[in-house]
Amino acid sequence: MRFMRMTMVVAFVVAALPGLAKDKEAQFKSVEAKHFARAEGVELSPEFTDYLYAELRAELTKAKLFGQVLGEGEVVDAADAPSSIVIEGNITEYKKGSVAKDALIGFTAGWRSMKVDTTIKRRSDQSVVASPQIHVRASPRWKDKVLAKEAAHQIVNELKKAVKDKDAAK
Amino acid sequence: MVSRVLVGFGTVVLLALSAEASVAFADEPKPTPDNTIHVELTEPVKPQAFARPLKFFLTDVTDRSGNAQPMLVYKPRNGIFLDRTPVEITREALSNCLKSSDMLAPERESADFLLTVYLFRFGLTDSSGMDFFGKVELAVVVKNPKTGKSQQVSAAGTSIAGVALRKKNIQKHVLEDIDNAFGDALRNFLRGQSLRDAITALDVPPESNAPRATTPPASDKPIGTPIG
Repeated sequence: MRFMRMTMVVAFVVAALPGLAKDKEAQFKSVEAKHFARAEGVELSPEFTDYLYAELRAELTKAKLFGQVLGEGEVVDAADAPSSIVIEGNITEYKKGSVAKDALIGFTAGWRSMKVDTTIKRRSDQSVVASPQIHVRASPRWKDKVLAKEAAHQIVNELKKAVKDKDAAK
Repeated sequence: MVSRVLVGFGTVVLLALSAEASVAFADEPKPTPDNTIHVELTEPVKPQAFARPLKFFLTDVTDRSGNAQPMLVYKPRNGIFLDRTPVEITREALSNCLKSSDMLAPERESADFLLTVYLFRFGLTDSSGMDFFGKVELAVVVKNPKTGKSQQVSAAGTSIAGVALRKKNIQKHVLEDIDNAFGDALRNFLRGQSLRDAITALDVPPESNAPRATTPPASDKPIGTPIG
């Protein structure tokens, strides 16, 4: 009886092992994030777009969907192009918010906000994988770069969702 | 009585000023073995392949960051220092990368291209406050010594690392952050489309390197169209 129990436990553990594998196989060979453009009237410094770019790359590395996270303008082998994607974006709106409103009214009144239009394309044929529109908000008492952190997080989440949906549709 | 109060007040002011000066002195960090980090690429970046095998010679690396203390990368909590200047670190790493792919020319004369590196930023920069933001920016002037023509190639590397509370962990994260940003910048340069474009524009095929013997002597040159 005891032997049977032990055998069953071992069988369960062995069956569950593939699911516990730490690293899933990367779905894309590489991803390239580009510096996002700023629409006219968006008062954000070039350092902000640099930071957004860095955060986006950090989030893409964490996502483990890609074999390699490339820097902007890196050469990609022609053979790898079909399984490589490029992320481009445009910051369309930025409101710097009001500390006074935030302090007096509260309930997110006077918060900073930023809208970003993102396009995720396949490198080989430029077909659009997803084009999420991101809207992030943060307290004006925090640095504006907090918005970049949140935006990068949301872009990668949208990308994950798009990939999941495509896999489910197949 | 009044003079006593004045003397007492003066003493208090002097004590406050001396305390302030000692705090300011203590704020200035000094490099020690405990707060010094060694930035080095874990493995050399493999440069991209070009149409023909090329040799590069690293002529010079110049710091253009305008930073008075280039080795101080993190000021709070007694500071974190680099063990070498960013110029030395960059020169060594770039040479190693080129050497690892047999693309480093031993001397200037045997090189197909000369590289002059200008460093604009090396270390940490302003972040959201929730993490460390490492950034390395450089511009490389690629010169063909045979034609004398040159082009500038810009490259940048960034990295994000989480903050820490303990000094030991802060040091570890800062080192990791700068290492990654530096590796990223070298990768961006050596594997970038900009370098490929510059080489394509500047490179001359080996057979056309020989000096032209077809230049006509001065007497054979066309004199110009007669006027009238």
